[in-house]
Amino acid sequence: MKTVAEGWPIVKGDYTVGDPRSRIAVITLASQINPSPEAALWGSSKTENLGVEKIIVNVISNCNIRYVLICGIESRGHLAGHSLIAIHENGIDEKGRIIGSEGAIPFIENVSKAAVKRFQQQIVILDRIGLTDPEKITEIVRRYKGRGEVYPDQPLVAISQKKKQPTFTDSLSGDIIISEEFIMDAAAGVVCPTKDF
Amino acid sequence: MFKFQKEQEIVNIAGVKIGGQPGELPTVLAGTIFYDKHEIVKDAARGLFDRTAAERLINLQETSAEETGNPHIIHIFGTTPESITRYIDFVTEVSEAPFLIDSPEGNVRSRAAEYVSEVGLADKAIYNSINMSINASEIEALALSDIDSSIILGFNATDSSLQGRMKLLENGAGLMENGLLSIADRCGIVNKLIDPSITPMGNGAGVALRMTITAKAKWGHPTGSGIHNAPSAWNWLNQKKEKDPVLYKICDIGSTCLQQAAAGDFILYGPIDYAPYVFPMAAMSDIMISEAVADLDIESASRHPVNLLV
Repeated sequence: MKTVAEGWPIVKGDYTVGDPRSRIAVITLASQINPSPEAALWGSSKTENLGVEKIIVNVISNCNIRYVLICGIESRGHLAGHSLIAIHENGIDEKGRIIGSEGAIPFIENVSKAAVKRFQQQIVILDRIGLTDPEKITEIVRRYKGRGEVYPDQPLVAISQKKKQPTFTDSLSGDIIISEEFIMDAAAGVVCPTKDF
Repeated sequence: MFKFQKEQEIVNIAGVKIGGQPGELPTVLAGTIFYDKHEIVKDAARGLFDRTAAERLINLQETSAEETGNPHIIHIFGTTPESITRYIDFVTEVSEAPFLIDSPEGNVRSRAAEYVSEVGLADKAIYNSINMSINASEIEALALSDIDSSIILGFNATDSSLQGRMKLLENGAGLMENGLLSIADRCGIVNKLIDPSITPMGNGAGVALRMTITAKAKWGHPTGSGIHNAPSAWNWLNQKKEKDPVLYKICDIGSTCLQQAAAGDFILYGPIDYAPYVFPMAAMSDIMISEAVADLDIESASRHPVNLLV
């Protein structure tokens, strides 16, 4: 069975890819710590919304990953690490808010409830927020890199195509004057001859 | 370039005018000081820093502003109540310019709002920002303060589309009981500066450009952004940075022009250290825009770069 989605990691970010067969990924929050090649993925995450989304998408698209180590210094106000733990424990509500997160804007836009559920089932979180010692982090990576089994399902590619869909249906109304002949509808982003209005 | 049918508001914050039709006023530029990992900061929690270096940076921005005609704002970033009040004391001691009070934490922003009211500096302060994280206690603190200028941030974490951002300001987008504009009214904000919010490239950074035009067309409030956050959060560029720091700076500083071409009135351009490069770049765009709208019955201000530098 395929364990890693094609093109993994699915979303780009501030991370380094190590061994995709490793059972552990490392999130260093606001700290920059030199990566270990023995982890599947290693990188920072500073936000409680887009940052959390990216971690979920990249983790559930690789069934080899069963542990996510959260370490490094927490980002003030955003509380990215705390929010990742909260979404793993509690999920999201109907509006996409991470239940129990005290981060500034803990909302998810591009990841479905099903993807969050998969993240909860596939992953065990190792909460070491505040730990910045590279040797101790590497020790944990070595302890967990081969622990447990591959997640028994297909890798899940969960990314919304929402942003590619048209988002407006309003009729045109010129509100920006470009020249005597042309006018622009700002919301629609369309330039038209004035006679059309 | 173009002209808005909607009348464009011009606000005056401590002598700095922001807003208007494209080409009417010079772009207002705000450089950040005491930001995360700023080398002049010795203790970010207590607000201890190299005063000589900080004053030199503020002077650098002031000199740049004087030369090109682009007014300036000092963007103060602090992470604790102690540090932000100390930074405000210093900045207002060495400069007459208006300043932004910015922190990732609501309680720090609230304390800063209270502090500037206590010491009589509220008329120079711009709150950064009223956004979807605002809660009852922050609203109360801002309403009780004397601050009447604020950035209103269009960051919608559940819908980053143009429509999603506009709705957040207009009616709360189903996420908040009220839109951010009406929350601003409740907080006593008269000078509303709209920031469409710069998300990373790949997550809708470009939407902010169209929202700048749309927000000005709809409400007429001054609009602008911290557009440099798009290149600075671009991992591909950051990887190149180690080999070629100049390349990084070109993209970071050059992003200013994009926001100006999209009718931006103000720009939070990032590290204040870049002032000697950002101001000429912005002045160049202002001149081009001014010339582009010259026959649309828009007259540039007397201290506009078009009247000072060419």
